Amino acid sequence: MIKEREQPAAMGSNLARSLHRSLLAILCAGGLLAAFQLSVVRLGGAAAALPVLFPLIFLVYLGAGLIAWYRRPSNRMGVLILLAGIMLFLGGMGNSVVPVLEGVGTVTATLILAATIHLLLAFPSGRVRERTSAVVVGAAYFTTFALQSPIYLFNPSGPDPSLSVADAPMLAQVGGVVQGIAGGAVMVATAVLLVRRLMRADRTHRRVLIPLFSYGIAAVLFIAFSGNLFVRALHMPAALAGVLELVAVGGIPIAFVLGILLGSFARTGQIEELGTWLGVAGGERGALTAALSRTLGDPSLEVSFWVPRRRVFVDADGIPVVSTTPGQNRATVEIDYQGSAVAAISYNPALIDEPDTVRSAGRIVAIALERERLTADLRASRRALQHSRERLVDAADQERRRVAQDLHDGLQMQLVLLAVEAQQLANAPETGDLASERATRLHKGIDSAASELRQLVHAVMPAALVERGLSAAAEDLADRMPIPTTLDLDVEDGACSPVVESTAYFVIAESLTNAVKYAQATAVSVKVLRINSVLRVEVNDNGTGGATVNDGSGLRGLADRVDVLGGTMELTSEPGQGTQIVVEVPCAS
Amino acid sequence: MRVVIGEDEVLLQRGLQLVLEQGGFEVVAIAGDATGLEEAVEKHQPELVVTDIRMPPTHTDEGLVAALRIRRQHPQIAVMVLSQHVQRRYARELLTDQTGSIGYLLKQRIADIDRFLEDLRRVADGGTVLDPDVIAVLVARAKLSDDAIGSLTPRQQEVLALMAEGQSNAKIAAELFVTEKAVVQHTSRIYDALDLPLDSDAHRRVLAVIRYLTDA
Repeated sequence: MIKEREQPAAMGSNLARSLHRSLLAILCAGGLLAAFQLSVVRLGGAAAALPVLFPLIFLVYLGAGLIAWYRRPSNRMGVLILLAGIMLFLGGMGNSVVPVLEGVGTVTATLILAATIHLLLAFPSGRVRERTSAVVVGAAYFTTFALQSPIYLFNPSGPDPSLSVADAPMLAQVGGVVQGIAGGAVMVATAVLLVRRLMRADRTHRRVLIPLFSYGIAAVLFIAFSGNLFVRALHMPAALAGVLELVAVGGIPIAFVLGILLGSFARTGQIEELGTWLGVAGGERGALTAALSRTLGDPSLEVSFWVPRRRVFVDADGIPVVSTTPGQNRATVEIDYQGSAVAAISYNPALIDEPDTVRSAGRIVAIALERERLTADLRASRRALQHSRERLVDAADQERRRVAQDLHDGLQMQLVLLAVEAQQLANAPETGDLASERATRLHKGIDSAASELRQLVHAVMPAALVERGLSAAAEDLADRMPIPTTLDLDVEDGACSPVVESTAYFVIAESLTNAVKYAQATAVSVKVLRINSVLRVEVNDNGTGGATVNDGSGLRGLADRVDVLGGTMELTSEPGQGTQIVVEVPCAS
Repeated sequence: MRVVIGEDEVLLQRGLQLVLEQGGFEVVAIAGDATGLEEAVEKHQPELVVTDIRMPPTHTDEGLVAALRIRRQHPQIAVMVLSQHVQRRYARELLTDQTGSIGYLLKQRIADIDRFLEDLRRVADGGTVLDPDVIAVLVARAKLSDDAIGSLTPRQQEVLALMAEGQSNAKIAAELFVTEKAVVQHTSRIYDALDLPLDSDAHRRVLAVIRYLTDA
């Protein structure tokens, strides 16, 4: 039932208007019923107030029920209050002058007590979900309806002799006692259930539940036993006791409506709002969670998104969510879209009574959830990708350092020592002239091999960069340029992380190489400066221009490195206009 | 002559020791890191220190820093700095406030034993030795940025580079296959062009040329 009303309600305001019109129609019909009752009851006499009070209190139920229904369209409390009002209306017919109507009133005289218990046990959602509660509610209706029958069936001298089937005052009396015992049992069970609920509720809700439940139980006890207590024990006039009873009955719908509206219970009625919101809002990150949380009245509500590839739920940032085991204060509902899981909504079951409500809201926002799920999925894989790229760049840098160090400490050192040995051989007095000459040639050969290796090591990872940092290394690059090179340095060594410094270094080295090798530049300038936490490298040459990042030079790989480090590379190289490369990298990466 | 060696590679320690002892030097201590080097220098008060730039624990430039400190605290101790790679910045740092007794060579030069020993002796004698590689960088760079050096003939630039290496006129003449007299003519032309003060002391002459080049 709920679903049918919720889903159309969320589709647009047409249905909301339709609901409003229906409620208005119910109000009119109720007013007519009240007027009708007034017209058929016995006016005047000792208990003249009672016949008038019944339709008036029926109007109170009508009003309260309609307000609850209007303000919380998908909460069933409004409907229940209206039904209780109908029962009261029927009971009020007992004052009618029309025999049939009076009979109806007799049969339904105590139904209002069952309705009140129903209301108490269905609060706040309007549904009786627990099995025990349902049994108690059923028992209440049985007690007030079926067990009521002996009183009029076997008592021809009762208020309505036409209903009597036999004159058996004993049976009527026994029936009354049975009804009293059953009613007492129902009351005790109700009280136990309500106390249990109170104990499970959190503090904010207890503030509403305690007065409401106390009033409800007191009202039922008062109505059921006022006849015995006030009339028989205290000798109060029956008419006055009746008025007091009706006033107590009239307070019931007011108490429930206040409880629903003020008690910060699930505001499922505003799913319609949620639907409207979805239509207009762009659904920026987190807004969906906020909207669901607001609509369902649970500030602790959280939405997580299903990533099928990794088989995990992630939050809006793409970070995997630790699966919460359903416990006292946490419940989770999974939301499907077109047959596959898209999201999970975790909420506080003390605040939202029914998973169905959450599921309904989730279904409405499923498309938006799917969109956010894809976004979260994307963020998660983007984060993973970025981390893996960073690791790769860092590993490559570490590897360069290691290779340079190993070559230098190992092979380079051995070549030097071999050359020493060759030279010693050449110098030894016992070495013949020819052998000495060959040893010297060997020495020269080893020496040039050592030189080449030294240059290779330098290209892999320059010593100045390892020993000092970017400015020393950049200066050495500029010093060795065959064309006039101006160097403008405004950065202290070690100010940026090693991987950033080496990236900047290789950008300069590559740009300078390109300027000489391909652009036939005759002058080049290099600027290295740190602006706040960003390292900026600028290389300008006056060469032929026309360079691109993808022309097979080392710039492509360097552009990737710069990108991984969260930086930018700009290449301006119009033919005939020289080439400018500007790289900016955050220092800390 | 008593020498302390600063070098962390065991193989090279041995090699250096061998070369030095064959050249008549007495190796009194070998240190594997910069702190050890300075302690050994304090303890042995050698005439000469030969040290690598990059040493433990940070493997950056601690050998260079130690060399400068030793020169400052013990002006009588000459220092030869060896390095995997030579560059102008280190040369400038080594020469600032120094009046000689300092050398800066590629490690690789050890293998040219005779020349290496000669360079060591020159440094111990109060001279200045710079690696040909770094001189080449200095001259090439000065040629691009300094009009005075640009105005020198290619032959004069060659002579300038050899002068900066600390070579004597006789050595330069032998290297370039010219007479010593021709070398003297070239050097006086160079002094005129660079506006350097004439000095009878050979060491100070070399230092003046190198300073000119490193600051150009």
